[in-house]
Amino acid sequence: MNLVRDVLDKELLDCEEEPMGRVDGLVMHVGKSSQPRITHIEVGGPVPWERVHPALARLAKRLAGMWGPKRAGEVRIPWSHVETVGRDIKLDVEARETGAIAWEIWLAHHVIERIPGGGSEEADDGY
Amino acid sequence: MDSIQSWLATAELVGEAWLRHTTPDKYSRQTLELSRETLLQISSDLLKSPPHSVDSASLDSILTRSRVSVAQMARLIQAKDAPDFGRQLDSLRADQKLVKQLSDRIESRQ
Amino acid sequence: MKKVLQITLGIVTSVGGFLEIGSVTTAAQAGAAFRYQLLWAVLLGTICLIFLVEMSGRLAAVSKHTIVEATRERFGFPFFFIVLIGMVAISFLVLVAELGGIGLSLQILTGIGFPWWAIPVSFIVWLLMWKGTFGLIENGASLLGLVTLAFVVAAVKLHPDWGTAAHGLLPSFPGDQKAKYWFVAVSILGASISPYLMYFYSSGAIEDEWDETYIPVNRFIATFGMSLGGFLSMAVLVVAALVFYPKGIDIQKFEQASMLLTTALPKWGFFLFAMSMLFACLGAALEISLAIAYFFAQGFGWNWGEDLVPSRDSRFCFTYTIIIMAAAIPLLFGVDPIKVTIISMALTSAALPLAIVPFLFLMNDPIYLGKHRNGWVSNTVVAIVVLISFVLAVISIPLEIIGS
Repeated sequence: MNLVRDVLDKELLDCEEEPMGRVDGLVMHVGKSSQPRITHIEVGGPVPWERVHPALARLAKRLAGMWGPKRAGEVRIPWSHVETVGRDIKLDVEARETGAIAWEIWLAHHVIERIPGGGSEEADDGY
Repeated sequence: MDSIQSWLATAELVGEAWLRHTTPDKYSRQTLELSRETLLQISSDLLKSPPHSVDSASLDSILTRSRVSVAQMARLIQAKDAPDFGRQLDSLRADQKLVKQLSDRIESRQ
Repeated sequence: MKKVLQITLGIVTSVGGFLEIGSVTTAAQAGAAFRYQLLWAVLLGTICLIFLVEMSGRLAAVSKHTIVEATRERFGFPFFFIVLIGMVAISFLVLVAELGGIGLSLQILTGIGFPWWAIPVSFIVWLLMWKGTFGLIENGASLLGLVTLAFVVAAVKLHPDWGTAAHGLLPSFPGDQKAKYWFVAVSILGASISPYLMYFYSSGAIEDEWDETYIPVNRFIATFGMSLGGFLSMAVLVVAALVFYPKGIDIQKFEQASMLLTTALPKWGFFLFAMSMLFACLGAALEISLAIAYFFAQGFGWNWGEDLVPSRDSRFCFTYTIIIMAAAIPLLFGVDPIKVTIISMALTSAALPLAIVPFLFLMNDPIYLGKHRNGWVSNTVVAIVVLISFVLAVISIPLEIIGS
């Protein structure tokens, strides 16, 4: 499996096929004799910005500290949670549990739901 | 000079349109006002460095007169005075012709 | 039967949604300043757009990815981020112009200046996004936009010399005002080939759940919809050529353009122009806001979809809310939407390679399109037109800046 082509930047879906971000980075274990293998998927935080320029990553960290959810850093999901790798990467966990959609939930509670017609993000029927 | 002719023509077109009842009063008045203001701005820029082959005093007087016509036209819309409006429009057209002649003279001398 | 209805609706919405402040302003300027000479620019831009829209739909139908999703996945986050900056910046400028266009239409109807309309107009646009569904927005705004057919009626009523006009379809070199000629040509190309249309169209194909069976439908809609839309732009140019050119009026302000239809349609012309611009700009404002929000949401992997309740895709909704609010600010300060239009159309041409080059790579990638990859015709036409637009833009924009 070509790691860059087949995994990196692909969309992540949770066990209920809800989008929960993209594979922004990979944590790999490089052994002396074995093939390098992926141990974790990294989502969010300063991870994607690190790939553009380290200064942007520092800026992202600082901005996230000033505003938004408290648990706003990058999220590491163990590779063991990956069910399938295809058009997207399907995981066997719920998005909420991983912390990957912390910003989504925070914005929903603090901004969107306070506006009339915003609905409730915990409702089962999303339409 | 092209901009001047463009805005004189704009005022003339609006004037004609208003007389034929194809444009509403408020819009016509505001567009005439806009034309007058724009003409004032272009004229003052032009007269700071006037073209060579033209007597700048006569150019200034023609342009001032045309601006006065346009201002009058705007006022006459409020008064809904079509006949006087028509007279001002004719005066504007006459000035347009003069400006065109001056413009042609400048171009032929270039 | 369902597909026939979809084709009809698709073509109708393409026609109704084609004109917006950019295409009308540039076409009116061209007709007023150069008579029929720049019809070739409209033709060239429209042809290129047909290919690009068809490609956008095909990519979505076959790969089940939108252009943005495929761009990030194929090229990685850093490159994607560069494209995002460029495209969002330019689309934002166009959004300011469109909101301004709605404001100007209301200004000529009521006499109240467009800065006063900035907040009400952006609120209405936001409300339609907040409460509306994709179908309502895509179809509703475009059906209202059909009022722009008034331009065709006016063109026919003015009895142009169709032979002379047809000559304008062939590229020609200008007599005088050379810098202005090429600048207006570049602006027309930028107005026709709007990247936000591509992003919106491919997202729409995903929202409407297209699959490979929709490829012929897509081809039909792209070809006929965009062609008829192109005719609308040409109609605007022709009317401007007949109304403004003989009088020597150079279109610099919206108030001048507002008289476009009054000669041919004395009773309703003024009102029809105002309503045309209002609905056309409204549709475009909605599409651009969605396109920008899609860019962020699809690129970063957020939940997105116009049919969802806002709290289910909170980052997506937050994005378009911020964008629309920000776009109102320049208008509040009285920045002239026509000036913004002209600048953004030219900049679009200059930035086209940034959007189109990666897109062409995707369209030739077997992983995404399998056997439905681009043929040599699509590749060649798009590559040539984008190259021409870019070169002309790089040459004429500095000249225009120096000239003015």
